[in-house]
Amino acid sequence: MSDLALPLPTESRRARVDATFGMVLFIGSWSMAFATLFLTFLVLRHRQPVWPPEGVVLPSLPLAGLATAVLLASSALLHSAVKRLRAGQPGFAGRWALGLGAGLAFAALQSWLWIDVWEAGGRPDTDMYQGLFYMLTWFHALHVVCGLIALGFIQAGALTGRINAGRATPASSVAIFWHFVDAVWLVLFVSFFAL
Amino acid sequence: MSGDHIHAEPTGFLRKHVFSVDHKVIARQFMWFGLVWLLVGGIMAMMIRWQLAHPGSPVPLIGKLLYPRGDGSVPPDGYNTLFTMHGTIMIFLGLTPLLIGAFGNFCIPLMIGARDMIFPLLNMLSFWTVVLGGLVGFYSLFVPLGAAEGGWTAYPTLSSTIGTPGSGETLWAIAVFLIGASSIMGGINYITTIVRLRAPGMTWSKLPLTIWGMFFTAILNVLFLPVIGSAMILMVLDRSFGTSFYVPATLNQSGGGDPILYQHLFWIFGHPEVYILILPAWGIISDLLSFFARKPAFAYKVTVGAMGAVTVLSAVVYGHHMFTTGMTAMLGESFMLLTMIISVPGEILFFNWLHTLWRGNLRFTTPMLFSMGVIFVFGLGGLTGIYLATISTDIYLHDTYFVVGHFHLTMAASSLFGAFAATYFWFPKMFGKMMSEKLGKLHFWATIIPLTIVFCTMFISGYAGMPRRYYNHTDVDYLRSLQHLNVITSVAAFFLGGAQLIFAFNFIKSRWWGSKASVNPWEVGTLEWTIPSPPPHHNYDTIPTVVTGPHEYSHPALKDRDWISQSEQLPT
Repeated sequence: MSDLALPLPTESRRARVDATFGMVLFIGSWSMAFATLFLTFLVLRHRQPVWPPEGVVLPSLPLAGLATAVLLASSALLHSAVKRLRAGQPGFAGRWALGLGAGLAFAALQSWLWIDVWEAGGRPDTDMYQGLFYMLTWFHALHVVCGLIALGFIQAGALTGRINAGRATPASSVAIFWHFVDAVWLVLFVSFFAL
Repeated sequence: MSGDHIHAEPTGFLRKHVFSVDHKVIARQFMWFGLVWLLVGGIMAMMIRWQLAHPGSPVPLIGKLLYPRGDGSVPPDGYNTLFTMHGTIMIFLGLTPLLIGAFGNFCIPLMIGARDMIFPLLNMLSFWTVVLGGLVGFYSLFVPLGAAEGGWTAYPTLSSTIGTPGSGETLWAIAVFLIGASSIMGGINYITTIVRLRAPGMTWSKLPLTIWGMFFTAILNVLFLPVIGSAMILMVLDRSFGTSFYVPATLNQSGGGDPILYQHLFWIFGHPEVYILILPAWGIISDLLSFFARKPAFAYKVTVGAMGAVTVLSAVVYGHHMFTTGMTAMLGESFMLLTMIISVPGEILFFNWLHTLWRGNLRFTTPMLFSMGVIFVFGLGGLTGIYLATISTDIYLHDTYFVVGHFHLTMAASSLFGAFAATYFWFPKMFGKMMSEKLGKLHFWATIIPLTIVFCTMFISGYAGMPRRYYNHTDVDYLRSLQHLNVITSVAAFFLGGAQLIFAFNFIKSRWWGSKASVNPWEVGTLEWTIPSPPPHHNYDTIPTVVTGPHEYSHPALKDRDWISQSEQLPT
């Protein structure tokens, strides 16, 4: 971490493993936070006689489906970008930029989803369904925002050359985090639209 | 990363002493932070005991200052705030920073032979996050309608806006979230450092037991602090955004929530938290008992295995806190059985400690006394835990002073004694000065005697049926006869509180005016005692190679001394 400030052209294999280990540990830890929220969702949902309860404002399935597709695409783009970076092939910055763009598109779709529900009268305190919907999407969106900021930093690093084939771990760590955000969204999507 | 090369020591005051990334500086920051909060939490405990001994009479010295509107006595809502904030402060802001923050940070890199933590910046962030949490908690004491009043467990509906209006409880939840985030950062750092930065030759079976304790604690931290973090998010949403996750239908228009859900989430975290606080103390005293008995730690691998078993089991016993919530008999009995099973590795640890002491060449230094004190107080606490693990007795004893006595002996007194042992032991390495042994021993005896009286009288009053958290138990007929017992408890508690002034005096006096510590004043073999006290910024000029175990004392091959450093080869 402290090395980010130093103008090191390359990183050792050791440093790469260290950083990846820490990132994976963080993902493992933080997935417990999401697991807790999803457990809450399942328990409280189970308490309701009908699900979704009658008369609630449902978030738009086509919008959410589109958001899912866009987010999956952004993960795939980042994955392919990191693969190219590690292999020393060109095209990292471009693919990363496309991934970042898809991430921003997801954020826009998510906002649209909220506005949609909000305008139809769905508020966090209207009923349990809305409460759970806002709780999970807010917490997830917080991670999307953090992820987008990190993606932006890597993009800047790619353009200035600080992220290169010999120094790819910051990019791969951020990509791991983004895949995690993606995976959580999939669970969220399935929870609200498929179950 | 940080293990590969030596970074120059920063020269500016801010980078050197305030926003430092050096694990030794961060350890000292955590230490001061924890000690100051222990003082605050301790004063609150004294006020609670005053109220219990003399209900409704003005608190001497500080009463007028704290409650200027009345006659200086603790008001009922003030009493709720006192026991809530006492518990929260002691656990999250006192013991955790002191035991895990200070000694984890100080010991891990030094004992495994590393130059620093693996992620120094994350380490600094971890400290400043807990400071932020502390500030939020402190600020909550001064908001309108007062600080949190829901108990340190903050059960809804006590902690809902109906039970505790005002922003105090919300700020409490935010503070707990921040402190939890700090612990997660620390945990990730500890685990990665221990796995990745051990010096050459420092195999898992040569690791000091202190490090094993910290390792298991860090695992529990990264797994279960996120759970309380999420529970706090749900609480803040309930309190500030009108959701009703914890609020049943009758209380709120949206309805359908479940207060018992919170209890599950809280104890999924809360029970491991007990072990988060005790595992470092276990690890530390497992080392210290061997160091001062001048004998190898008995059954090193079994001790490690037992601590590992406790770590795993701690995740599956939390239901014993909830026997009275109406869980099914099968679930209750399962939790009872699992709780009984967790005492097996606990007992194995006890026998290992006793066997380490057996026929040892005991040196009764202050750290040794406090280590033996841990065995004693944890023994008392552990044995009374069996009554609380058994459903039939727990239903009677639930929410009485028996429980208060039990958890204070296990998670409070044992962890605190572990922290004291560690402080007396590593003080020379941390500050380069010796603490006074004479005052240290006085501190030990002046602590353990009143402490035993305080918590053992609580067992009696609890068994006689005195519930916890009552503002004035003399309002209740059948509790009035327990008044003399409460006076005894309180007088002993005041002695206990007063005895800590000896520690404070010794600490401050030794820090600035103590005699200079040599490289290895205790004649022990772990790596940190091979370098100057205090260690230089980069710890080791050259990373040592480890060839010997951490507890090779009184080895027959040793001629002129009874100890050997981990970086020295045993003569053949």
